[in-house]
Amino acid sequence: MRRKSSRWIAGLAVACAAMLIAFAGSLSAAKNAAQAKPARVDLAAEKSLGTRSAPVTLDVYSDFQCPSCRLFFMTATTPLMNDYVASGKVYLVHHDFPLPMHAHSAEAAKWANAAAEIGKFREVETALYTKQDTWGATGKIDDALDNVLTPAEMKRVRGLLDSPEVTASIQHDEDLAKAKGLSGTPSIFITHKGQTVQIPAQGATYALVKQYIDYLLTQ
Amino acid sequence: MDTASTIPVTAARANWPRWLLLAGRLILGGVFIYAGYAKLREPWMLFAFSINSYQILPEAIVSILARTLPWFELLLGIVLVSGVALRWTATAASGLFILFSAAMLRAYVKNLSIDCGCFGYGEKLGPLRFTFEGALLALALGVTIGAFLMHRRRT
Repeated sequence: MRRKSSRWIAGLAVACAAMLIAFAGSLSAAKNAAQAKPARVDLAAEKSLGTRSAPVTLDVYSDFQCPSCRLFFMTATTPLMNDYVASGKVYLVHHDFPLPMHAHSAEAAKWANAAAEIGKFREVETALYTKQDTWGATGKIDDALDNVLTPAEMKRVRGLLDSPEVTASIQHDEDLAKAKGLSGTPSIFITHKGQTVQIPAQGATYALVKQYIDYLLTQ
Repeated sequence: MDTASTIPVTAARANWPRWLLLAGRLILGGVFIYAGYAKLREPWMLFAFSINSYQILPEAIVSILARTLPWFELLLGIVLVSGVALRWTATAASGLFILFSAAMLRAYVKNLSIDCGCFGYGEKLGPLRFTFEGALLALALGVTIGAFLMHRRRT
């Protein structure tokens, strides 16, 4: 009787051990799979700022090497982020539209999108505009980013430059721009209650954009 | 000689400048009324963006101009259509077209890719716009000269 029960206990123990091993194995396999294939990053969302449900959406088609884009970013986008995006009033969407006339803008767009893959788009965008003169002249984009990316991040971003996701993201933005018949940057669109208006970029100072957004928010 | 048939023909010939002037001021007035109305039906900031894109005036003036110019155009159009003080309203219209054309020419020379802002938002500045603006300027000058000549003939 005792021998029989001890056999049962031994069998149960072996079964439990086998289950534990199998469970640990499946956990490890899942972990390995997650490491091998990271969750897909929504690049469009990474390149946008604010809440999607904000009453006003500002779509900006930019070229990182275009001086007018830099001016708009420095003088209008940055205060907009603080005054309207942070408070949930404006959803700011960046679209890449590198123009062929700028030698390094396509490469800069790749760096920005690859940085978006690791959640560093804003930092890289700011650095690209701030140091536009430098990398615009030399083409050494990575030099302009060494203050905002760690060596490990730089390595990861460099590895993602020609990834299908980055290529597709830029191509998607370019297709949108072409569908709208755009030929220059920055091209700025403001959408409110389903109505979209393209505002003349040369005249779009922060003071006027602010007054227009304030007007829309009262409607 | 049949005088009965020649008198109306002579009268009609004598009146053609008057009819031409009437047509000219009606077209010109209509253009100004439409230009003012097209801007007033949109928020003034959209017109301000267009004016500011010419990069001529300081922003404070741009805001004032964007709020007042459409009303001025509307008023000028109505007065032109009515024919009251035609010499002076036609002179004002010519002056405005000279200013607008100069601003457009400057933008074109500076290679600014901007909105004209002439008849509301979203109208690109291009060769077609220049041709139209030139035709309107010629019309305004014609009406102005005609109005002065008519006045001289009457007095």
